Amino acid sequence: MKACMIIGKANVGKTLFAVNFAGYLGVSRLDIDFTTPNGETYRRTLTQKEAVEELTSPNPHHTLGLQRLEIQMPGLKGKKRFALLDTSGLTDGIPEESMVRRAMAQTLAQVREAAVILHLIDASSVGKEGAVEAVGPVDWQVAQFGGMRTGYAILANKMDLPEAAAGLVQIRREFPGHVILPISALLKTGFAEVKQFVWRHL
Amino acid sequence: MHNRNLAPMTVEEVLDWLEEGRVSPAEAFALFRTIGERVEIANSQPKETQEKLKDVLAELDGLIGLTEVKQLVREIQAFVQIQKRRTEERLVTEPLVLHTIFRGNPGTGKTTVARILGRMFRHMGVLPRGHLVEVERADLVGEYIGHTAQKTREQIRKALGGILFIDEAYSLARGGEKDFGKEAIDTLVKAMEDHKQEFILILAGYTEEMNFFLQSNPGLRSRFPIHIDFPDYNAQELLAIAELMLEKRQYRLSEGARRRLALLIQRGLRNDSYTFGNARTVRNWIELAIRRQAVRLVQKPGEVTREDLMYIEAEDFGEGL
Repeated sequence: MKACMIIGKANVGKTLFAVNFAGYLGVSRLDIDFTTPNGETYRRTLTQKEAVEELTSPNPHHTLGLQRLEIQMPGLKGKKRFALLDTSGLTDGIPEESMVRRAMAQTLAQVREAAVILHLIDASSVGKEGAVEAVGPVDWQVAQFGGMRTGYAILANKMDLPEAAAGLVQIRREFPGHVILPISALLKTGFAEVKQFVWRHL
Repeated sequence: MHNRNLAPMTVEEVLDWLEEGRVSPAEAFALFRTIGERVEIANSQPKETQEKLKDVLAELDGLIGLTEVKQLVREIQAFVQIQKRRTEERLVTEPLVLHTIFRGNPGTGKTTVARILGRMFRHMGVLPRGHLVEVERADLVGEYIGHTAQKTREQIRKALGGILFIDEAYSLARGGEKDFGKEAIDTLVKAMEDHKQEFILILAGYTEEMNFFLQSNPGLRSRFPIHIDFPDYNAQELLAIAELMLEKRQYRLSEGARRRLALLIQRGLRNDSYTFGNARTVRNWIELAIRRQAVRLVQKPGEVTREDLMYIEAEDFGEGL
């Protein structure tokens, strides 16, 4: 099955996007397959609300490992089945905890195979120096990697926050030549464009 | 920072290094790219494995004539190179829009130059594959509503990572408003937005027709910043092209054959330079002459020497051809 992978730095809103985007595509009960950094797998079934409450957090690295969700996406002509993969946050430097490093290796192991890569950037803290979610070297490298293939888009998240408008301008300037879609994972805005992009590349 | 000389060579090694804390995720992605490039080169045709940018440019220079085309291609190459450097230095860059219009008569080298551009862009990292998908109206335009968009999208999909080359592109505008050609143009324009940087579109055709086509589609015109004119070859250049073609096949022209061919070319140019077909017609003549030489040698009494096998004689070009 083709995979749509959500990647990005820690705390940019990957999991909230995954859960709400799944909801937008019509999935109300989420059967999520978890793979821990140690390679153990288990499945949990959560409602939208439960998923938001349990899986998301304002603290970085709340998601460790892979969270996989199979989705049937309805389109104009029929449906497409794909796996939505939520991943552990990436860091600019080398993290100290081995669990975090292992979780990131898991992400990278999948990224080459993914049909679609959605690279989330926090538009509200582009220029916030020192913040874990601010745009950094790992974002540059992901974008360069994405630029060599099809199905890569940057999602400028947190457009509901006041600083995000200026951040979006800066993102467009700093990542020229890439597909950049402004969204708010929280308010579920911009999802139609994301769906269109994912549909086209599956 | 890891030792560059001992950089991991496989995806698995990169992942191990990442897990062990020897590289950061950013470095791991950078390594993925270099490994990816290595794999891609290894997977492409063997004859291209050793090819470098300078080989591609040497091939361009090896083409007969086309002075202005060569100069323009060099300009594009320099522009792309500098824009890439500026990106690395995080300086503001011009958007790298490389969609191009090729204007010129058939047989003036448009497809050949398009192929070279594809390979050049691949070596410069602008296009991941750099292949050429050559299509014409019939490959894009369908027979019922919706069919055209589907056919056009299919061709675009095939061209992703390379160049979509539409020959006789002006024919998409024939038939006016109700023609499905318009649908093909709309689909192309949309794809140029959706797949920015993922492929390069080259529209080719006769100079006059292309000018009219672009004038009647102003939206299209603005999307093609590069225009390359392919002038007709003169008699001297055509003769040089013929000799090059023969040389590649290990044949030679006898003195008489050269005079006959020069005459034929002059006559062709004089009679109808518009539909003369330029290099393509010359190639057809050469191929015909090679076949006739074979017939002549088979019928020849006595021994056939190495010389005989190599030389094309005047009679091989026939009387009127």
